[in-house]
This record gives sequence, structure tokens and C-alpha cells, in this order.
Amino acid sequence: MPRKPIIGWLALAAVLIGFPLVFTGAYYEQLAAFVILSAISASAWNLVGGYAGQVSVGHAVFFGAGAYMPLLFYKLWEASPLLGFPAGIAVSVVIAVVIGVPTFRLSGHYFSMATIAVAELIRILVSDWDFLGGAIGLMGPATSRGWWDLVYRSSVPYYYIFLAVLAVLLYITHRMERSRLGYYLRAIRAGERAARSLGVPVSRYKLYALMLSAGFTSLAGSLYAVKFGFVDPGSTLGILVSVQMVVMAALGGAGRLLGPLLGAIILVPLQTTTNTFFGGAGTGLAFILYGGIIMLLSRFEPGGLLELWERYQARREARMAKERALVGAGEDHAA
Amino acid sequence: MILLQVIVGGLLIGAVYALFSSGLTLIWGMMNVINFAHGEFVMLGMYAAFWAFTLAGLGPAAFAPLAAVLLFILGVFVYLALIRHVMRGPMLAQILSTFGLLLLLRYSAFWAFTANFVTLPDDLVGASINLGGILVSAPKLLAGVVAILLTAGMHLLLTRTAIGSQILAVAEDRQAAMLMGIKPDHMQALAWGLSGASAGIAGALIATFFPISPTVGESLTIIAFVTVTLGGFGSVPGAMIAGLLIGLIESLSAFYFGPIFQDVVVYGLFVVILWVRPHGLLGKA
Amino acid sequence: MLEPVRTMLLRAENIRMAFGGFLAVADAGLEVAEGEIVGLIGPNGAGKSTFFNCLAGDLKPSAGRVLFEETDITEASPEAHAALGIGRTFQVPATFEEMTILENVMVGAFLRHPREKEAREAARRALALTGLDRLAEHKAKSLGTPGRKRLGIARVMATEPRLVLLDEALAGLNPAEIRQAIELVRVIHRSGVTLVIVEHIMEVILTLAERIVVFNEGRVIAEGKPREIVNDPAVIDAYLGRSHARRAHQP
Repeated sequence: MPRKPIIGWLALAAVLIGFPLVFTGAYYEQLAAFVILSAISASAWNLVGGYAGQVSVGHAVFFGAGAYMPLLFYKLWEASPLLGFPAGIAVSVVIAVVIGVPTFRLSGHYFSMATIAVAELIRILVSDWDFLGGAIGLMGPATSRGWWDLVYRSSVPYYYIFLAVLAVLLYITHRMERSRLGYYLRAIRAGERAARSLGVPVSRYKLYALMLSAGFTSLAGSLYAVKFGFVDPGSTLGILVSVQMVVMAALGGAGRLLGPLLGAIILVPLQTTTNTFFGGAGTGLAFILYGGIIMLLSRFEPGGLLELWERYQARREARMAKERALVGAGEDHAA
Repeated sequence: MILLQVIVGGLLIGAVYALFSSGLTLIWGMMNVINFAHGEFVMLGMYAAFWAFTLAGLGPAAFAPLAAVLLFILGVFVYLALIRHVMRGPMLAQILSTFGLLLLLRYSAFWAFTANFVTLPDDLVGASINLGGILVSAPKLLAGVVAILLTAGMHLLLTRTAIGSQILAVAEDRQAAMLMGIKPDHMQALAWGLSGASAGIAGALIATFFPISPTVGESLTIIAFVTVTLGGFGSVPGAMIAGLLIGLIESLSAFYFGPIFQDVVVYGLFVVILWVRPHGLLGKA
Repeated sequence: MLEPVRTMLLRAENIRMAFGGFLAVADAGLEVAEGEIVGLIGPNGAGKSTFFNCLAGDLKPSAGRVLFEETDITEASPEAHAALGIGRTFQVPATFEEMTILENVMVGAFLRHPREKEAREAARRALALTGLDRLAEHKAKSLGTPGRKRLGIARVMATEPRLVLLDEALAGLNPAEIRQAIELVRVIHRSGVTLVIVEHIMEVILTLAERIVVFNEGRVIAEGKPREIVNDPAVIDAYLGRSHARRAHQP
């Protein structure tokens, strides 16, 4: 993998860090925070869906577990929602094991089917469980009792918290790419049978990827809960949450480090705009749009925009190399 | 007595589950492709029935075949335009293709028909029938009987007719089928058509006794997944048995635990099946 | 003349493989001593590929045992095979297309070297062994058939196997490429790897193998040195052609 020059990373970091300082105002700040939060969950999905090639279409279950736990801790014990973060991760990892252990030893489709079924299962259970607030949901602390409640009026502090988490996640992903886990996952995605013959414990590594992915998705859900101060089944366990993660990662480039971030930067403003433009019907329209985008990607460019860009670059370089060779030959002839 | 009623009702709806699940398992076994939008095909069959009745006054005898034909065409179209190209590609593309289709169909239906439920009139097929002391809803009875016949018919079509054996030949060994002069592409398109038709006609049958809305596909897709897994990869007879079982379990769960938990039990059963016997009742290992 | 006693590395006994009603392998066995090159031949549909896959852990035989040294690997997964030191190549090389050639081999190297740096070095060694080192940074999909076969061998060599099962490693190569491949197989053998080779090209097997096992209709019908096999009437019958035996005698 070609290493991007350090200047590129610095520029990206500068843009991301500086964004809320340049684009001020509640609208931009909220939007930016949501972009980064979406990028976190899409990047988390990317670990299992992109790198390992195991397509989960029910990742909302991990997001929801992470979202409910902090507010449940608050509801039960008036505790700081932060204490619920590890609980959310633990629940998500358990769910990951329940889904992954039986399905990863079978062919790919079973896993995807199981994710959609389990996500729905949990959503129905939670919607009808008064303990978890039923269809109404749970609320967090209305005012800040201290730093540990993570209650801020402005979106800006949340933006930077999310950005820090995203940076950590991307760094971990980057390190993983160059580790045995990363190579094994890419091999699994490229050819399971060949991977097995080289000693790759396929089922076990798929499970590792899923557990890691579930944990980070749960973290994203917990961050969502503290920012919005309110969770309900629709906003945290519904199919839209799963779809968003998939389409953002796939549009930007599944299996690539910055793919999900790119997808989030493109789609979050787009979805927000259609919502404000079309009102309630806007959400429905977003789904139709996502469905269309997903289908087009699958048919023409499953590698997403980053792959499209990479191929364009490769073609340009090949053309330039050919031109250079021709020029060189011409000079030889002249001499 | 009530229990018997619950059991019969469950078997009848299970027959309908068997019908549309047999279509799903056919393409799964043949091409190793899972249609995530299968429930939406059923939903479209339901709406086809509704609009045929509302706009043209057609009864079930007419709108059921109509739904079958419309969804047959949709199935073939989806195969030719999309599936054919993603089939041999990466898993991501395969899953995304029909998942994207699910979203497109379901939310287009939302946009076109709004989220409100619509229903066909209760007395379209008849009211309740008294069968030896148990009350059976007439539309359900008709749906169940027709569904079982059609599912059996699907099985016979595949195993006893020339075209059916061609489809199975492609499913078994594409190369060998090509050597015999069979065109896999045509057979696969046909299978997708049959799959669509089975879903469409199932939808039309369900529409006679169940409220129609764009969201019905959600649970029907998952029910189809549980059924084909329980029945076994690629097995139509397996789907038949599994469908009946799932319908029965669902009905009993609703009776004992309440309607909300019927889905929970069936989806939970899916997880149990995956842990305990993923290859199902009649699937090839 | 006394031959040094060699340890029995791989042993398959009474292997039987049935697919539904079809019996691909009826009753087959094989013994491979450490350091040998054993060739597995037979006409199409004789069951040798099925038998091969049973040895490699891809298929679980319906009956019989496979032992590696004294470990029963009949039901062991392909991954377990690799960990024990049994490698295999594929008839149609299943390269990881979008990864570079070096990365492909690194996947194999990681089996024995969990750390990236050591895996990379081990991979480079395997590439040097197979003559692919100059192409290390190219994507695997840019390779033609001979390159892919080499890559398949490099990958499996990176797992540091004691025994390698070569599945028609030379099919699809032209005569010049075949000569190079034969040399590569010899290099690998000299590095201490025991080989079981399935091959259709008679000249290759007769040149490389010390001992040949002949399959027909799911059974082993003959076993012995190349010279003996080539003159065995049962073998000639199986291939339906005396011309083959005649051709094999030519230098």
C-alpha cells in the first residue's frame, strides 16, 4: 500500500480541527459533529464489512447497545453516563459472539442474514420493554452535574471529542492494516479457501474483526447518547442506522482507511439537506437515495470512490509512462 | 378447541410462508445469492392485489395470477439488470445489490402509498368457516390450500418437467449443464422469475386477510430467511416443511406469549438453528 | 546397498469418499517417507483429485484415516494442516488479486512469523527462492499463468512446510516454462521439503517422481518406480493407449 505523504495527513488534520473555528454557528457545528460521529460508526463497520468482507446489515444492534447503556446507568443509579460506555461495549461484544460463532464457520450469507434478524429482534424487544423506556426511550441528564456528564450546550466540545475518538479508531485501523490481523482479514476477503491453506484461522479472525467492530460501534452509540441526551429504538436500533454505516463506508471505499470518513462527509450533509427540504418525507427519500446508491455501487464500483480515484490515477500514470517512453524513443532516433 | 384453531391457523399461514420461501431457496441453492428484497417482492404482490381489486374490481382468482406475472417479470428484470453482474463478484457487491433493492422498493412504496395500512374487504373470499367445531377464516383457508398446492407444484415443476430438470442441472453443475447445451443464463433468469412469482402470488394470497403496508416486507424477509435456513440450503421440500413449522411456531407463540413476541420467538429460533443445526432439515451439507 | 531408513511422514489408509450416491474414491492408501517425491497419476475422473483434497484437509473422507507423523489429521481443517507443516497449491492458483505479490506471500509468512517485519523478510526469502523478487511490489493480478503458479509456490513455501502437496502445478505452461518449473520443484525438494505431486503431464512426473502411485476408478492400481509403472499393463490399460508407454521411453 502506498504511504500517503505526511503533508496530506497534516492538511487533513488541519481541516478537521479548524472546521468549527471557521464555520461557526449552531447549524454547522451540529452538522460537523454528526459527520464525525457517523464517520466513527462507519469506520467501525468498515473493520468487519470492509476489511474482512463480512457484510453486516444489522450493525445498529451494536450502536443501540452502546446508546442505551449510558442512559440506563443514569436512569437506574443517577450515575454518570460515562460508566455505561464499557457496559455497552461488553453487551455488544457478547452479541457479536452470539452472531459470529455459528455463522462464521458457514458460508458468507448466513452471517448477513443473522445480522438483520438479530438487529430486528433486539429492536422489537427493546421497543416493548418498559424498563428500557419502551417505544419512548430513555433520557439522560438535562443539566450538567459535572464534567463526567458530558453535557454541553454547544456542539463544539462534542465535535472535538468525536474527532479524538475517530483519530484513535483510524490510528488503530491503520496499525491493524500492517499487522497479521490486517493481512489475514484481507486474505479472507480475497479468497477464504486459499487463506485457509496458508494457515489462516478464518472463522476465528472473522470473529476478532466483528468483536472489534462491535466495540467501536458501541462507543459511537454511547457518544450519540451523551450528545443528544435521548435514545429511542427508532433512532438507535432501526434499519436506518445500519444502512447509514454501510452506505457511507461503501460509497467512500470499503476496506480503505479513509473511505468511511469520505462517505460521511458526502452523505451526512446530503441527508440533512433532504430532511430539511422535504420534511418528514425526507427520511423516506434518503432511504430511496441510499438504496439507489448502494445498488449502483454494487453493480459498477463496489470499491467506492477511493477505488475509482485510484484506478483513474493508475490509468493516468500508465498513460504518462507511455508518453515518456515514446518521447525517449523519439530522442534516440533523432540521435 | 381454541388451541386446535391456533394450530390450524398457524399451518395455513405456514403454507404461505412455504410458498414464498421455496422461491428464495431455489435461487439460493442455484446461484448462492440471497435476495434481501424477497419480502418486498411479497409486499409488492400484496399491493398488486389491492390495486387490481380497487381499480378494476378483480377478485382473487384474477389478481393472484396477475401478481404472479408482475413479480415474475420483476424477478427476471432484477436478474438481468443486476444479479447477473454481481453474482461472481465480491461478497460485498452481492449483498449490497439486493439490500439496496430492499431499500429502493420498500421506501418507494412508502413514498407512493404512504405508511397507512390498507385492506381488502373482509368478505372478499368469505367469512369464517366452521370445520368440525373449529372456526377457520375463509381467506386464510383458501390461501393455505392454494399455497400448499403451488409449493408442491413448484417442487414437481423442478423435478418432473424438462425445464425443471434444466434448472436443477444448472444448479448442480453449471459447466456440465453448458456442455449439455443448456444456457445457464436463461435458466437463472427463469429461476428469478419463478422466485418473484412465488413471492407475488403469496403476497396476493396474504392480502386477502392481512393489512397491507410498505413495512410488511421487513418481517417477511426475515421469516423467509429462517424458513430457508431451517429447510436447508436449496431444498424446496425442506422449505415446505420448514414453512409449515415456522407458521405453527409463530401462531403458538402469539397465542401463549402475545403477538409482539411471535416475531421474537421466530427470530430467536433463527439464532438457535444457526448454532445447533445450520444445515437445516433437508439441506446438502 | 542399504538405503537410509526414512521416517514415515504422511500416511493415508483405506480412504473412501462418497458424494451422495457417487463413489469418487473407493479404497485408497498412500505412504510418503520424509524427503520423497511421490507422484500421483491417473486418468480423468480416477479420483486422484478427490483423494488429494482428502490429504489436504479440504474434504473429510467418508471413511479411512490420514496421519501426519503420528498425528491423526483425518478431520483436521486446512488451517491445522498448514500449522502442522503440510502445505498445498491449487490447480487454479487462487492468488489474492488486489494485494501485491509480496503481500500475498506475507500472508503465508505470518504463520510462522507473527510480527510484520520478520514476516516481510521471510516473504522476501520465499520470493527470492521462486525468482519473483523483482516483481514484489506489483499487484498479483498482473501476473500471467506461470507467474501465478510461482506465486502459489512462494506463498506455500513461506509457511515453512515439511510436506507440500502440488496440485497440477505445471498445467497450462509451455515447454520452456515447464522446464523452469521442474527446476523450481527440484530446488524446493533440495531445501528439504517432501513432495506429493498430482500431475497429468507424464514427462514431468516421470522426471521428477521417485515413486509413482497410479489411480483408476477410485483405487490405487499400481505403485512403484517410474520405470516399473510405465511398463505395468494395468496402468497402460487404464490410460487406454500403448502409445503413452512408448513415448515415455523416449529421452
